[in-house]
Amino acid sequence: MSLANKIQSCGDDLLSVAVPGPAESQQLAARLRATGEWLEVVGGIDTVALRFDAANIDADAAQRTAHESIGAGIPVVQSSPVVVEIPVCYGGEYGPDFDAVCSMLDLSAEELVALHTEREYTVDMLGFTPGFAYIGGLDKRLNVARLREPRVQVAAGSVGIAAGRTGLYALPGPGGWVLIGRTSHPLFDATADEPFALSPGTRVRFVAVSAL
Amino acid sequence: MTLEILKSGPQTTIQAAPRVGQRHLGVPYSGPADPLSMALANRLVGNESYAPALEATLGGLSLRFGSPAFFAITGATAHARLADRPLQHHRTIQADAGEELHVGPATLGARVYLAFAGGLQAETILGSSSTYLPAKLGGHEGRSLVIGDRLSVNHHDWSADNHETPREFQPPLSTSWAIRACDAAETGLLRDRRQLFDRNFRVASRCDRMGIMLEGPGIDVNSDGGLASAPVFPGTVQCPDDGRPFLLSVDAQTTGGYARVAQVARADRHLLGQIRPGDHVRLLWRDPQSAIKDLRSKLDYWCAWLDDIELVI
Repeated sequence: MSLANKIQSCGDDLLSVAVPGPAESQQLAARLRATGEWLEVVGGIDTVALRFDAANIDADAAQRTAHESIGAGIPVVQSSPVVVEIPVCYGGEYGPDFDAVCSMLDLSAEELVALHTEREYTVDMLGFTPGFAYIGGLDKRLNVARLREPRVQVAAGSVGIAAGRTGLYALPGPGGWVLIGRTSHPLFDATADEPFALSPGTRVRFVAVSAL
Repeated sequence: MTLEILKSGPQTTIQAAPRVGQRHLGVPYSGPADPLSMALANRLVGNESYAPALEATLGGLSLRFGSPAFFAITGATAHARLADRPLQHHRTIQADAGEELHVGPATLGARVYLAFAGGLQAETILGSSSTYLPAKLGGHEGRSLVIGDRLSVNHHDWSADNHETPREFQPPLSTSWAIRACDAAETGLLRDRRQLFDRNFRVASRCDRMGIMLEGPGIDVNSDGGLASAPVFPGTVQCPDDGRPFLLSVDAQTTGGYARVAQVARADRHLLGQIRPGDHVRLLWRDPQSAIKDLRSKLDYWCAWLDDIELVI
């Protein structure tokens, strides 16, 4: 498919390329990163952001370079054969929004847990802060909006849902997702050879546990 | 040479070059919130612009020199004295062994920078020795300094007296900031763009290295909280549905799902590091081409004093 008309200015040194979805985003981002022509290439769910050196490159030249390098289209990412099981303790102090989600979506606690644990998911991308994983494929019945005002502090390991995805917070910090539980699964270790436990394409399944 | 921290202030960290090229893994830049001021401090003691130095948020720092040292102080206005001698910002200062440096609370601007000839020793992780507090990366044990910490300064053979930043290269500070900004991907979701641009906001108490919350009459943004998460950068202006926008700063998350309603122009991103709660902010709209012109004029001006200014701004 042609992406030539899907490039948008996103600031004085940023371009945004619209893509169909997270798999295409990750693939296109990896390819553009490999060209070495950009200061930064970051894939989102359905966009890829390109940061260029505006001190030396004009905005229209950056647009031309982007057009040329995305002309070849996008191959699709393969998901991994391994399924990672992520234990989640739902509700209570670990899921401060769990009860509100149940009443908003008219689900019992058991139904909410069942809807979240019954299927297999794929990691769409890493982002936000180190180790945060965006996991797509949420049941449509679990579609909720982000908080109107992001929390000042979200605990490490928090499991949130928003806009059709599950998000895993590896680190404590602010966050705007609706929190339904928490996991003890390690997500980020800067000193490890492989700091990130999950990567785009990793298949995951959530398993309900009664304690962490 | 060692420094002993006698008073750590609200938040003092070691900062160095940003952690670039890893945003796709969720690793933010970090680095000095006001890289220009840190570069100016390093320049006064013969260091490279991003040599590891101290960033003291709102000042309030004291330390003792273990041996003679050259240092410089820049950034936010704060009363400073070495032993009993009052110190000027933007000068090379020589300290003797055992002397104590006291930096009072910042009175204008948010962040004081202290650079030491030779540069501080710091832990390098994921390509940089900048401290990133949320993941406890880099700097001194990945954390902000506490009383009793001992920092080491690299050996150097640099010496100079009466070094001073020329007056025209001492950045002005303010309580009221005009920041140039361009449209971003979701500027179109604003019900009325005049609610965001060319209008005064007050800086909320939620103001740190990750983001600066702005309070004002409120902004109507039609996102319904359900946008697909997308890349964000330092300088991105995100607006949650409650209508109070955030100016993302150096520790900005790498992706986010609140509407990206503007992007602070590269030329002015360094200013974000000196904005403090209670200050006023106005975003001045620019089209990208004009913003790039502004950037190049600014770089042309600064290269007379900082020859690697392109890496700083």
